[in-house]
Amino acid sequence: MAGVVVKAHFRRHHVVVVVASNLVRHVFGDAARSWIRNIGSTAPALGSMTLLLFMTGFVGLMGFALHNLEQAQAKEASLLHVYLRDDAPEPDVMALKNQLAADPRVAHVIYVTKDQALARAQSIPGLPELANASESNPFPASLDVQVKDIKDVGAIDAFVRDNGVVDPLYPTSYDKGSYQRLQAVLLGAGIAGVAFVGLLGFVAVTVTMNSIKAAIHSRRDEITVMQLVGAPRWMVRGPFVVEGAITGALAGAVAGLVTFGLAMAGIAGASGSFTQFAPGVTTTVAAIAAAIVLGVGLALGSGSSMLSLRRHMES
Amino acid sequence: MAPVFATGAVVANGEVRPVAPEPPAIVELIGVTRTYGSRAAVDQVDLALLPGKLTFLVGPSGAGKTTLLKLINREIRPTSGEVWVAGIAAHRLKTTRVATLRRRVGVVFQDYKLLPRLTAMENVAFGLQVVDLRVSDQEARERALDALDAVGLGNRGGAFPNELSGGQQQRVAIARAVVAQPPVLIADEPTGNLDQETALEIMDLFEDIAAWGTAVLVATHNIDIVTRHQRRVVTLVDGRLVRDQPEGQTGRMAWLALS
Repeated sequence: MAGVVVKAHFRRHHVVVVVASNLVRHVFGDAARSWIRNIGSTAPALGSMTLLLFMTGFVGLMGFALHNLEQAQAKEASLLHVYLRDDAPEPDVMALKNQLAADPRVAHVIYVTKDQALARAQSIPGLPELANASESNPFPASLDVQVKDIKDVGAIDAFVRDNGVVDPLYPTSYDKGSYQRLQAVLLGAGIAGVAFVGLLGFVAVTVTMNSIKAAIHSRRDEITVMQLVGAPRWMVRGPFVVEGAITGALAGAVAGLVTFGLAMAGIAGASGSFTQFAPGVTTTVAAIAAAIVLGVGLALGSGSSMLSLRRHMES
Repeated sequence: MAPVFATGAVVANGEVRPVAPEPPAIVELIGVTRTYGSRAAVDQVDLALLPGKLTFLVGPSGAGKTTLLKLINREIRPTSGEVWVAGIAAHRLKTTRVATLRRRVGVVFQDYKLLPRLTAMENVAFGLQVVDLRVSDQEARERALDALDAVGLGNRGGAFPNELSGGQQQRVAIARAVVAQPPVLIADEPTGNLDQETALEIMDLFEDIAAWGTAVLVATHNIDIVTRHQRRVVTLVDGRLVRDQPEGQTGRMAWLALS
């Protein structure tokens, strides 16, 4: 046909507009039309992905809260209270304090006098009655030793409990098993959460891949023509990736909103207990979680499409 | 300025006449074999197609005609041998680069492969715009209408495929195949669904396209067309290229007995 058709002359200032217009029409427009046309086969993918993403957001927020809880517990567990005899000479107490402060495993040591211990007890719910039950101060002075690594608490405990200034009846408040038990529970919960989300993820990806397979099938003539005339691979495959991304984005938006809404309801409805139950979960954290859910939805939708294209579309 | 002649010369009636050099082949198959399992669909084929020449590819059903066309269009790779198309080594072309080759090869099928939801003009323009996003709607429309005009359908650009006859649909498919001016055009039984009169018209169109400088390869079973046009005829039987008759020498063809 040489000589019949005039060759293209591209004016530079128009090229960007033309390319953008064609890109929107042939990639995004086609994807949107195809998504609407195939809504019947896309609905299961949308549903399963929304559930998956909501569970991901929920489990993620809970994981974040439990992580904060664990950090708080770890800090608490690595704080060793060394109770002192009432008749312990102050120079000996100071000597022990200095000895502990010089230990590289120790972050810091605070000397708490009997009066300070009483004042602290009176601020703890339930303890003021006990504090006032006796005319004398029943609370011992202590050295509060903040150990850097919780693994070293046992060694520090063993080191101090035989010291002469330490109360022989109730030397320390260290419970070496409590933190490990908490860790075991959290680990179990984490594994269960990841396994559940993983299973849901597998289902969502499989269902989305099938919906893209159906979309490829419904547009096979168009694909054939595009491939025959030499359309670039990304041009042929792009609309399907966008189609998957639309599914993922919609599912992510719904799941993100639900996650954010539930977190907000929790924060607004029962602020005190919620803060204890889910420490660290604030409005900002919930918004970030919702945004992450949306992003994961986009990635999961387009990723599932790409997997489906690799499997079901010939080059 | 002195004309450039080939170094060789032809002696005719005692005179030495300079011979213009032949243009280089735009498609070249060198020792190409393509097997499916233990069966060779194309077996040790050597073939060169020149620009501006119409070539018929004939042979009985199952002779390997479609396989050979697919090798040129890089729908499949050869099991061995080399396939060169417009300077591109199709035999070792990566999947990600196939589009580059296909922009140089127009393809026409027996079943037209038009998109039913698009008009004739849109079908042709679609082929332009999905290949090159820089082509504006107006330019695509103008070039599509030019191409439709060239195939005799300048006034049917707004018609949908189901509003066109088989011959008209094939013309639209040809317009789509050549609108981007590929140097090579391959057609697989393009007249298989058409009556004889329309088939001859379509073949005249291929003649015109070749005359404009495109290398055209048409796989066909239509004896009348082949004998009427007196162009180069390449015959495949059981995957082997058994005869390569130059244009003007199309005689009785043994393959017809096999078809």
